[in-house]
Amino acid sequence: MSARDAILSRLKGAAPDKAEADALLVAPERPMVDEDALEAEFLARLALPSVSASHDAIDTIADLPAAVARYLDAQGEARSLCLPPDPRLMACDWRGFTLHDVAAPDEAAALAIARRGIAESGSLVFETSPQAPMLPNFLTLHHIVLLAVRDIAAHLEAAPLVGAQPRAHYWITGVSGTTDIEGSYVRGAHGPRFLHVILLREQ
Amino acid sequence: MSGFTASFKDRADAALADPILKVAVERTAGTAQAKRAVAVEAFPDFEAARDRAAAIKDHVIAHLGAYLEEFEANAIAAGARVHWASTTDEACRIVIDICKAAGAKSVARSKSMLGEEIGLPHALAEAGIGRVETDLAEHIIQLADERPSHIIWPAMHKTREQVSALFKAKHRSPHQEETIAAMAESARRELRTQMLGADVGISGANFLIADTGAICTVTNEGNAELSLVPPRVHIVTAGIEKIVPSMPHAIHMLRMLARSATGAALTQYTTFYTGPKRVGDRDGPEAMHIVLVDNGRTKMREEGLAEMLRCIRCGACMNHCVVFRQIGGHAYGGTYPGPMGAVLTPVFDGLKESRELASACTLNGKCQEVCPVRIPLPTLLKGWREKSWREGLEPRSMRWGLGVWAWVARRPALYRFGTGVAVRAMQMLGKTGWINRLPLAGGWTQYRDMPKPAPQTFMNQYKKERRR
Repeated sequence: MSARDAILSRLKGAAPDKAEADALLVAPERPMVDEDALEAEFLARLALPSVSASHDAIDTIADLPAAVARYLDAQGEARSLCLPPDPRLMACDWRGFTLHDVAAPDEAAALAIARRGIAESGSLVFETSPQAPMLPNFLTLHHIVLLAVRDIAAHLEAAPLVGAQPRAHYWITGVSGTTDIEGSYVRGAHGPRFLHVILLREQ
Repeated sequence: MSGFTASFKDRADAALADPILKVAVERTAGTAQAKRAVAVEAFPDFEAARDRAAAIKDHVIAHLGAYLEEFEANAIAAGARVHWASTTDEACRIVIDICKAAGAKSVARSKSMLGEEIGLPHALAEAGIGRVETDLAEHIIQLADERPSHIIWPAMHKTREQVSALFKAKHRSPHQEETIAAMAESARRELRTQMLGADVGISGANFLIADTGAICTVTNEGNAELSLVPPRVHIVTAGIEKIVPSMPHAIHMLRMLARSATGAALTQYTTFYTGPKRVGDRDGPEAMHIVLVDNGRTKMREEGLAEMLRCIRCGACMNHCVVFRQIGGHAYGGTYPGPMGAVLTPVFDGLKESRELASACTLNGKCQEVCPVRIPLPTLLKGWREKSWREGLEPRSMRWGLGVWAWVARRPALYRFGTGVAVRAMQMLGKTGWINRLPLAGGWTQYRDMPKPAPQTFMNQYKKERRR
């Protein structure tokens, strides 16, 4: 008997009742979020020590390069950027920047678009696709994220995609941190040491 | 993989005699306890959320076979290969065979307690495959050639001074400044190129999502993603109890896990991987293998330990355990320390070898109070004590002593005479309300005083009252 058959034979039982599984999710307990002030709620979580992200805001996506330049200049970083091949980003005017689409092992700054922001935790939601590689967001020192204000949702239940799943669906809630030495919090353990969110207020 | 090189008593003695260990454990566990308290305070419905988390896990455990089949079908549909292992040896063999077939010379491993449980580091070494532990604490442990002492902070037993000395001895370009930030930076430099050059990435799974076939990892460091995205092959080893029916169920469990483990609303990086790289994707592995491991879990379900299968490995029970806080994790001897480890270790390593762990507990119930899935840990520990007694594993002196007590207790007149003598003798031992030296129990009174008993036994007082 294969290990599979042996394990499953020891687990014989009734198939789960979908209604029973769904009933476990009726009115789940969730952190309080003021649904009328999602942007403020999101920004409040973003500022928590456990997330500690900075933010800026723009009115149209055409203002994005200027906002990125503002951030990199303030950080004393060169205007060099790992830019994913997303048509919304490619359409911006990046004159004055050195762009590349493959992240170097010591990449200084990478830009990405979050599909959602989650107010309850200050999380940013991403998926992989041909236009959205994953590795740059974990290699870079400065992770810069564009998030449309209209895409902020109250709770994590709004994060997953319905239907077919991408290779990876991931939530980023802060920078790469560690408390592995004496419980002391240190930023930039392996990946980003800085997370900067640029809110797009365009309707 | 366990370390029963000495008796539990000897291991605990050695831990108590280590002046550095208690400081190190206290620094991390104390911080974790304080942070959890703040997180729970900020989530008013946390108690009800614990009930729901327990109910979700109980539902899954009751229908485990069907959910595993659903997960398997969806993972295969997403392009993953699914393997099943009844034992630790089978699990390791599957992983090593996949590594060999991929021509792997090095693997990057993201911290997984299941990997420790099945002895994967040892198996990789035997197969001659280089291993890079990418979690900072696991990296420390690997350099020190030690075992993890906590499931969330495996290097909890190390002070910053010890870590500094270790990095200076082993890193190619170690830190100059004596700060924790500089030490972490030294590890970052050391590990990055090794992670990016690995042939295979190996992880565990915090959750397996039945209706999508996704596996979920959570890390604060982002080391899972850096270990699992660049290599050609991603291997997941996961216990079969990690299943949840759907993403909304996983979301509820994630809310509980992060708050209970680190006191954060959510861990910094939460990733759901569904199969290997897709057409057109710029990164991700060419192949994904998922190894579903039983290793005693089906037996636990059948033999009265189903509640233990609720465990989501948050570590809150050990952070709040008065015994763990004194002796740290290594003294427990098994893969999993603390209260949850004391329940699990007899399953994995045998009750004969680990029966003393069930007694390394004051039954104060603190672990059960903080468990996010309400595992009745003290009750399960008492179950092991009873089983140990039934199977005759307790030492002869204990069996003989209890036998004498039981013989006397069945003879009320003799029992009352004996307790009366004992009470009078103890009255004479203490001038105040406390006894500070007790014959035959000098070890006990060396560090604390015993309250002096009432002047008369309960039965004497009861009889006197009835005569009135």
